[in-house]
Amino acid sequence: MNLIAQTLADGLVLGGIYALAAVGFSLIFGVLHVINLSHGILVLMGAYLALILSTALRIDPLLTMPLVMIGLFCVGYVYQRFLIQRAVDRASVNSMLLTFGVALMLQNAMIWLFSPDMKSITPSYAFASFKLGPVNFDAVRVSALAASLVLLSLLALFLKFSPLGRVIRATAQQTMAAQLCGVNVRHVYALTFAVSAAFAGAAGIVIGIILPFSPADEGNWTLNAFVVVVLGGVGSPAGALIGGLLLGIVNTLTAQYVGPAFPNVTMFLLLVLLLLVRPHGLLGNAFAASR
Amino acid sequence: MVAAAVVLAFGPLVLPSFYVRVGQLMLYSAGLGVAWAILGGFAGYASFGHAAFIGVGAFAAGLAESYFPNLPTPLLLPLGLVVGGTCCAILSAVIAYPILRLRGTFFAIAMLGVSHVCAEVTNNVDFFQGSLGLNFPPIAPASMDPAIFFYELYLVAGLAVLLIAWKIRYSRFGAGLLSIREDEDTARMLGVPTERYKRLAFVVSAVLTGLLGVIYGHSLGYITTESVYRDDTNLSLIVYSLLGGMGTLYGPVIGAFSLVFVTQVILGRLLDFHLFATGLMLVLLILLAPGGVLGLLKRRAA
Repeated sequence: MNLIAQTLADGLVLGGIYALAAVGFSLIFGVLHVINLSHGILVLMGAYLALILSTALRIDPLLTMPLVMIGLFCVGYVYQRFLIQRAVDRASVNSMLLTFGVALMLQNAMIWLFSPDMKSITPSYAFASFKLGPVNFDAVRVSALAASLVLLSLLALFLKFSPLGRVIRATAQQTMAAQLCGVNVRHVYALTFAVSAAFAGAAGIVIGIILPFSPADEGNWTLNAFVVVVLGGVGSPAGALIGGLLLGIVNTLTAQYVGPAFPNVTMFLLLVLLLLVRPHGLLGNAFAASR
Repeated sequence: MVAAAVVLAFGPLVLPSFYVRVGQLMLYSAGLGVAWAILGGFAGYASFGHAAFIGVGAFAAGLAESYFPNLPTPLLLPLGLVVGGTCCAILSAVIAYPILRLRGTFFAIAMLGVSHVCAEVTNNVDFFQGSLGLNFPPIAPASMDPAIFFYELYLVAGLAVLLIAWKIRYSRFGAGLLSIREDEDTARMLGVPTERYKRLAFVVSAVLTGLLGVIYGHSLGYITTESVYRDDTNLSLIVYSLLGGMGTLYGPVIGAFSLVFVTQVILGRLLDFHLFATGLMLVLLILLAPGGVLGLLKRRAA
């Protein structure tokens, strides 16, 4: 019983982080219809940036979040405006391959800059933990989960109530109609990408605190984001949260009860199953663009 | 034509062994590229996970051959081809149902998932010996240099794949596949049996890929999970078509020849830059020449 409770708690923590790491991917896919295969790179950029800033400024890694998010916001805007926009209008596989090419280049660049070794960010409270009933919580993991939930809620509020959020949602629903109403679609695309990149960077910090990371990880984070989006539904923080939590719980349950090597297998089986019974994702319309 | 055929067939006899190896890789890659393009080029279902079939083919053949150690040497490869091909056919026919419901990028990534799952199962289930590695019996006749034997084998296999693709391209089935690529819903409305055609193209493409994987396993002599389920193969297959010309018959051949030449001969000494160069090439290709080499030629001619 204790084991199940502990596994579920770990799964929830992991899932919250998956959700945060996937929400940018989901937003880009929902608004631009681009599968951003360099998403994992943006996540890692956030992690490395936080590592550098927190050691240079000697502050808590979570406090570097505003700086990292601003930095990645700019990177995302420029990246979309000057590179991805050129492939958006063409066949969808092209923009995906473009981002894949960029991911390969940047992964190589990260290996030159930071070496291929595992790195990790260690905050001062790294080894603190507390008990809640029979279940053990690390302070690090709980703060990571809290940061994820706060950020996801902020993004949801931003999309729902701010003028820019409304424009982004309008563009996602009906690009043409939004354009007719005077929306500068390219600018909105670039802003969406920038916001997504900023959230990917924030996810990178949270990931860096609880897990070791290396340049070779980027593919995993991209794939996770994709699965989360398929599970939860596209374009909304709520969908990402549902998908992320589901993925996190399934991963930890599989690792605990089937074998540590099999989370990817169950993840994929779950994906196929869901595509068969509920092709639109648990929330929303994930597959409007896929068929 | 004749001169080219003579060079292709007898070239390796006079070339240094490094270039025979490069030649093998070129022919193998071209064969894979064409097999991929039957689904990815003609029907427009770009798969990001065809390495799954290379791996399944190679491992199925290797395991089957290890159960018959007393079989005479000339029968080993046919046995491997039959078993490897059958396994790929079954696997692809089964996964075709859920996977081909997806389109575009979703299909591509779902195939990447298939390839990762096959790799993990091969690696973690002891029966497949994926993490330990699997030995292939030598099949080259004693009188012949194995490098040249495999070169000629790849040449025959590559030509066979090209012939099949050519037959498909100019048949009713091929026209149906092209119509699926152009507009699947309209094609279906006009009476093209899109589901059946897609599935058939998927299975043919998978089996041909698997057969090449069987030969690849033999030419390596010893395979592990990492040596056959490779993500760079998954990517390269798309790049061959992109480079040569997406959806064309000879595009993947041109793409495979030039990409293998560039990466093996020119970039072979710059391993640190390998990822970067591949990525840069991919980006430039998509931005500057989305129709590939054949597309550029066509545009010039027009």
